[in-house]
Amino acid sequence: MYQLNKVDKKFPGVHALKAVDFTIGRGEIVGLVGENGAGKSTLMKVIYGAYQPDGGTVTIDGKTVRFQNPRQAMDHGIGMVFQEQSLITNLTVMENIFLGFEKQFVRFGVVDWKAMAEAARKQLAKVKLDIDPGMITAKLSFAQRQLVELAKVLTLEERVEGDLVILLDEPTSVLAREEVELLFKLVRELTSRASFIFVSHRMDEVLELSDRIYVMKDGEVVDVVDQAAANIDSIQHKMVGRDVDKEYYREQRQGAYDPDRVLVSFDGVTVPGRYEDISFDLHPGEVLCLVGTEGSGREAILRTIFGLEKPAEGSVRIKGQEITRFNARQSVELGVGYVPRERKVEGIVGGMNVYENMTLSQMGNYSSAGVLRIAEEKALAQKWIDRLAIKTPSVFKDCGGLSGGNQQKVVLAKWRSGGSDIILLDHPTRGLDIGAKEDVYDMVREMCDAGAGIILVADTLEEAIGLSHTIHVVKDGKTQKVFHGSPGNKPSLFDLVHYMT
Amino acid sequence: MTLERIKPHLPWITLLALVLIVGAADSNFLRPQNLISMTADIMPLFIMALGMTFAIYIGGIDLSAQSVANMTTVIATVTLPTLGIGAALVCIAAGLIFGAISGYITTKLLVPSFVSTLAVGGVAYSSAQYLSGQRALYMDAGLRDSSFGWMVGKTAGIPHEILVGLVLLLAMLFLQSRTTFGRALKAVGAGELAAVASGLNVTRIKVIAFALSGMLAAIAGLLFSVKLSGGSPTLANGFLLPAIVAVLVGGTPLTGGVGGVVNTLIGTLIVAVIRSSMLYFEIDATMQQMVFGIILIVAIAATIDRSKLRVVK
Repeated sequence: MYQLNKVDKKFPGVHALKAVDFTIGRGEIVGLVGENGAGKSTLMKVIYGAYQPDGGTVTIDGKTVRFQNPRQAMDHGIGMVFQEQSLITNLTVMENIFLGFEKQFVRFGVVDWKAMAEAARKQLAKVKLDIDPGMITAKLSFAQRQLVELAKVLTLEERVEGDLVILLDEPTSVLAREEVELLFKLVRELTSRASFIFVSHRMDEVLELSDRIYVMKDGEVVDVVDQAAANIDSIQHKMVGRDVDKEYYREQRQGAYDPDRVLVSFDGVTVPGRYEDISFDLHPGEVLCLVGTEGSGREAILRTIFGLEKPAEGSVRIKGQEITRFNARQSVELGVGYVPRERKVEGIVGGMNVYENMTLSQMGNYSSAGVLRIAEEKALAQKWIDRLAIKTPSVFKDCGGLSGGNQQKVVLAKWRSGGSDIILLDHPTRGLDIGAKEDVYDMVREMCDAGAGIILVADTLEEAIGLSHTIHVVKDGKTQKVFHGSPGNKPSLFDLVHYMT
Repeated sequence: MTLERIKPHLPWITLLALVLIVGAADSNFLRPQNLISMTADIMPLFIMALGMTFAIYIGGIDLSAQSVANMTTVIATVTLPTLGIGAALVCIAAGLIFGAISGYITTKLLVPSFVSTLAVGGVAYSSAQYLSGQRALYMDAGLRDSSFGWMVGKTAGIPHEILVGLVLLLAMLFLQSRTTFGRALKAVGAGELAAVASGLNVTRIKVIAFALSGMLAAIAGLLFSVKLSGGSPTLANGFLLPAIVAVLVGGTPLTGGVGGVVNTLIGTLIVAVIRSSMLYFEIDATMQQMVFGIILIVAIAATIDRSKLRVVK
């Protein structure tokens, strides 16, 4: 029995976990759902020892424990199967399985590879994977690697006494449907050896596999439902805190775009290894969404428009001008603004204040002969603070100390105040709370009304559908399908997923 | 009051405490005469540290500074008879070029700055040896005084070295806080990826930062050579470690992004006080580098922003 009692975790500007209670019994499968930023990953990190809680206690079979690092958690039987695969691809399968625990095979200072292979075979049998343990990991498929990770975590069984708790973080995101079913079957069988915490965005899968489901919102557990009583609608309702309706994505404010003018035009553009033969036109007032799985080439397309990735073939035109020398300076001058996914690293400069961040891309407009006109910068910042209702004590506040939503507003203000009208949004609502997300959606509509064109890589499919006029589904770097949607007449989730995987 | 809030004030608190401690041990130390001459003596080092600040501010380092200064002592001495005050321009140009080359190697060839500047420093040192024929050279006293006498004179009891340092400090302070270059430099130091994503030409900014470092190292060498009335490929040896220490104890960490040129002034004065306190406490001169080495390690460990470091190699 693993338990969290009133666990609290705070980061600067974010109360990530608010008095969370969490219990998992022997052999149980517990689902964990919530929107991005609801606190799932923080909770998982507390469970496997990567974060130490600021308040509350963690108990195993009634005894209080405190993990300083994941290794200590492992010694208590807590293992993590990572979403972004944590195997080292140029090592063999068995080396990966016993990484950091090779000591047991060492005889007189050298590793007894035969013994390790034998032991690895035993672990692989637990997950019903029939491969040579001496194989280089890079040669395995993603589904096989997932199983190797699981096998690696299951070595805890031999090493520690007591029950195992294994966290599965989005284990199905890269798997095909048949592979998912095999994995689920395996997990159910393995409940005789361990209990599982299953985290996924795919609600139907969570419902299918879990005995109980914890629903998180804004750092709190808002509900715990048993499988028998669970239904997707009511869980989604609790996750979002209200109905996910058209209102949410401001669909009624979606206007028609101007089909006669073209802001960005891609014609058969290829960046080797990233994407191939991509063509589209972006018009003023249009939201064009690129949909696909991680690594499908969406981000690389954005980076090309911003001038950071040079294509090998095809033609890129921005406002009619053929682009030959790709650099960010030129794209910015042509009116391209980039709102990157890593807001804290690429979006704002932590350590610089609000006005310094806002004019960073357009210092030329606020300087004479290289000398800044700081008074004008401050006036600009104050104007946009008022206009976007940015919550900051003053223009001198370090942007690193603002909340995520306000940081995002600063980034958007940076581009809009400089007159950018081609806005690239990469996961613009990632990690924001609901209110801040709605602010971003409002801003998307406002920018379109003002004649800007937006290329969006959305955080969720619902967001992609709700916001966009045009959806390009990209898989393995190629456009699979283009959908057009107007309010009330949009493609469904199922339509998109069908072409994504 | 938490440590985070005290941290920015630590440099000047340290300076004040050191002055008071040394002053308590020997009241002669606090005589204005002594403080002024101590400050004047440290000026060549200060100017080098001023340049080093830019390299460190963007998260790099300039290990060529000392060799560039060595080289310019030779260049100044060799060119003085023919060029007069024009020798200064040659020195400054040489510093800019060597710094820009370091910057180019770092940004375009992606060689970490501690290696690129070390290599460029080797070239500079070797040039100095070649130019000087591996000998110590001396300036003609008359020529020196007519061209560069203004650098080392005194007005109202204030040595001109201090004024030279002050003018450079103010110029660099203006550059740092009031110009687009200074703002861009801050963005690159505090968040390089965000600077790229804002469309800044990060490569150019970095090259300029290293060029400035080279230029100020060259001016430091020039001033030093005028002060000592000569040049040699080893004249400025022993500058590098204290210059880096000055920047770091001043509060510009090795990870960059915070601090700046005023911090370096305070850091340099700390170095100066430590240096003269070693005289007062009769610590052998040969142990100076040992002391600065130890202070350097402590300063780095205390100021570095570990959240910016993923893997240390």
